Amino acid sequence: MSATTTPVATHRDGKPRKQPTQVRSSFLERVAPYAYVAPFFIIFGIFGLFPLVFTFFVALFDWNPIGAHTFVGLANFERLLQDSRFWNAMGNTFGIFVISTIPQLLLALGLAALLNHARLRWANFFRMSMLLPYITSVAATALIFGQIFDRNFGLINWILGLLNVDPINFLASRLGSWVEISAMVMWRWFGYNTLLYLAGLQAIPREIYEAASVDGANGWQQFTRLTIPSLRPVIIFTVVMSTIGGLQIFTEPLLVSPESGLTCGAGRQCQTLALFLYEQGFGQFDFGYGSAIGVALFVIVVVAALINFFLTTRTRGAR
Amino acid sequence: MIVSSTAAVGALALGLLSGCGSSGGSSAPSGDPNAEFTFWSFTGIGAKDSVAEYLAKNPNAQVKLSEVGSTTETATALTAALAGGDVPDLVMIQGDDLPKFVENPSNFVDLRTLGGNDLASKYLDWAVGAATGTDGSIIGVPTDVGGLGLAYRADLFEAAGLPTDPAEVAKMWSTWDGFIAMGEEYTAATGKPFVDNIETTVFFSTVNQVTEKYYSPDGKLVYDTNPQVKDAFDVAVKTYEAGISANIAAWSSGWDPGKANGTFAVTVAPSWILSGIKNAAPDTAGDWRITTVPGVGGNWGGSVIAIPARAAHPEAAWEYIKTMTSADAQTEHFKRTGTLPAAKDSLTSDAVLSYTDDFFGDSPIGQVLSDSVLQFNSFYNGPDTSAIGAGLLNALADMQAGNVAPAEAWQTGLKNVKDALG
Repeated sequence: MSATTTPVATHRDGKPRKQPTQVRSSFLERVAPYAYVAPFFIIFGIFGLFPLVFTFFVALFDWNPIGAHTFVGLANFERLLQDSRFWNAMGNTFGIFVISTIPQLLLALGLAALLNHARLRWANFFRMSMLLPYITSVAATALIFGQIFDRNFGLINWILGLLNVDPINFLASRLGSWVEISAMVMWRWFGYNTLLYLAGLQAIPREIYEAASVDGANGWQQFTRLTIPSLRPVIIFTVVMSTIGGLQIFTEPLLVSPESGLTCGAGRQCQTLALFLYEQGFGQFDFGYGSAIGVALFVIVVVAALINFFLTTRTRGAR
Repeated sequence: MIVSSTAAVGALALGLLSGCGSSGGSSAPSGDPNAEFTFWSFTGIGAKDSVAEYLAKNPNAQVKLSEVGSTTETATALTAALAGGDVPDLVMIQGDDLPKFVENPSNFVDLRTLGGNDLASKYLDWAVGAATGTDGSIIGVPTDVGGLGLAYRADLFEAAGLPTDPAEVAKMWSTWDGFIAMGEEYTAATGKPFVDNIETTVFFSTVNQVTEKYYSPDGKLVYDTNPQVKDAFDVAVKTYEAGISANIAAWSSGWDPGKANGTFAVTVAPSWILSGIKNAAPDTAGDWRITTVPGVGGNWGGSVIAIPARAAHPEAAWEYIKTMTSADAQTEHFKRTGTLPAAKDSLTSDAVLSYTDDFFGDSPIGQVLSDSVLQFNSFYNGPDTSAIGAGLLNALADMQAGNVAPAEAWQTGLKNVKDALG
C-alpha cells in the first residue's frame, strides 16, 4: 500500500514530476501489487470462473461432447424440475448431510472437552491421532467400510449372526445406505472438527471457570453457560464448513457400491446430487443436462450459504 | 491501469483457451504403414499379447500401447479426446459403449475406405452391425465377442442329486422353465440358493435371446411394447419368485467369495469371465463345468477396434487392424488368451471348437461358446440401448433387495427408463 501512496502524495503537493525515471519506477510500484496477485486471478479465471460461467452456457444446450450442440433454452431446467431422480438425489443429499453432521459435531464437541481435560496424559498423542482418519484416502476408507457393512461377509453382520439376528443388507435400503455413508463421512471429519473445537476451548481463559466454580456452578452448568457460548464462532464455522462439504458428498456414494455403477444402488437410494451430476454428465455424456444439475447445485449452495450468513450475523448481534 | 491489466489477463486466458482448442488439430496423414502409432486399449483383453503377436508378424512396426483402464474409463477418455484433444491412432471400444460412438460416425474413419466393401462379410453379422452407422459406414472391426455359457458346480449338483455332465445339464435346462424347475429341485435338496442373481445371469441372457430388442429394425423405441422384452423380464421375475436366487449382484463384494464358498451353484459365463472365475475360486479347480444357456444362444460383451478420424497415422493403424483381425490371427490370439474370436472362419476352426480347460473339468468350452454366438440373433441397438438395459436391470436388482414388489417390477423398470430418456 505504501508504494501506491507515494505518487498520490506528489500529486496533492501540486509539484510536477521532475525526472522520468521516477515516474517509471512509481508506475512499476503502482502495478506491482496487481502483478503479485495476478497469478491467482489468472489461474482462478481459467480454472474457476470460466468453467463456472461456461456451465451456465452449456446448461442451455442439448450438448453431446462428440456430436451436435443444439440450443434448447430452459428445457434442461424444466426437465430437471420434473425429474424424480433429481428430487430423490436432493432428499438423499440432505438426509446424509443431517445424519452425518449432527452426531459428528456433538461427538467432536464432547471429545474436544475430554482432550482439553487438565489431567489427561499423553494429550498430544491423542490429539494428533484424531487427524489420522482425515489424512487417510477416502477410497481406502470406503473399501474398509464396505467390508464392515457388507451383507454376506461383513463384520457387523458377523456379530449380528453371533447374536442370532438375520443379516442386514445395509446398501439395499435407503436408511441403511445413508447410515453407511454417514459413518464414512463422520469417520473422516470428526477429528478435524474435534481439533477446531479444541483450539477454541484452549482460547478460553481458565480464570472464568475458576470464578464460576467459586460461584457454585457445577460441571454441566459450566459447559452450557461458559463453554458453548465461548465456542459459538467456532461452532458456526464448523457448521458452515460441514454444510458446504455435506452438499457436495460424492466420493463415498460413488465408491460404496461398485456393482451399481453411478446410481449408488439399483433404486438410487443413496445417489447424491453431485453423483447424479456425474452420472448424467460423464456417465451418459449428456453435458447439457449435467450442467443444469450443476447450476441447480450452485443455487442450493448459495441459498445454504445465505442462511448461514443470516445465522452468523444474528448471533453476532446477540452478543 | 486496472483496466489494461484485466484486459491482459483476459487476453492471456483466451490465448490459453484457444491454445487448448487447437492443440488437437490433425497433422497430415502419413502414408507410412510402419510409422509409430498410438494404441489405446482397456485392460483385461490381452492387448500386450496382441501387440507382441503383431510385432512378431511385422518387426518393422512401432506401436505405442496405452492400457487406459476399464472399458468405461477407456470410452470416457476417448470421448474426451474426440471432443477436443489428442486422439489415438487406434482404439478398442467395448460393445456397451459402442452405440454412443456409432451415433456420430463422422468421428471415425469409415473402414470400408481402407478395407473394401466386403470387409463386413468375414465377421459375425451382428458384431459388424453393432459398429455400423445409419449411413452404412463401418467404424470398427470386431476383435472379439462375448459368447455366453452358464458355469455350474458339478460337485454341488451331484450332492443335490442333479446330473453333472454338461450335455445332460444343457438338455435338462434347454428352456428357462426347465432351468427354474432344476433350481427348485436343487434348493429343495440343499436348502441353498441355486443361481447367484437374476439380473445378470437370467435377464442379461433372456433379453439378448430376442429377435427384436429395445428398438425396431428402423430405429424406433419399442422397449415398452415389445412382448419379447416383457417375456424376458418376466422370466427373471419368475426365477426370483421361485426363491432360488442368492440375490448377490455381479461384482458386489459377495460375488467372488460366493463362487469360492458354494453360496450358489450357477453363474453366468461369457467367454471373458472364465479367467475371473479361476481367480476368484482357485480352490474349486475341477468342480466347475461350462454348458449352453437355456433358450437360444447368447452374447455378452465383445469389442471392436477403430481409427479416429483425426488420427495422425491411419495407415499404420490400419496395417495393425488388417493383420490382427484376420481369422487366423484371431484364432492365434484365442489360443493364447482365451478371447473368443469374431471372425466366422475362426469360430469354426478346430482350435476354437476343441478348446477345453481342466479347471472347468474339460467341459467343451470352445464348442459351447462358438455355438452360442453363431446362434445369436441379430437385432438393432440404438444410442440408448445401454441406458434402457440399465433401467430394467435396476428394477430387478431393486426387487431382489426387497424394495420393489415383483408385481410392480416391470412398471418400475419402465419408469426408470422413462426418467433416463427424459
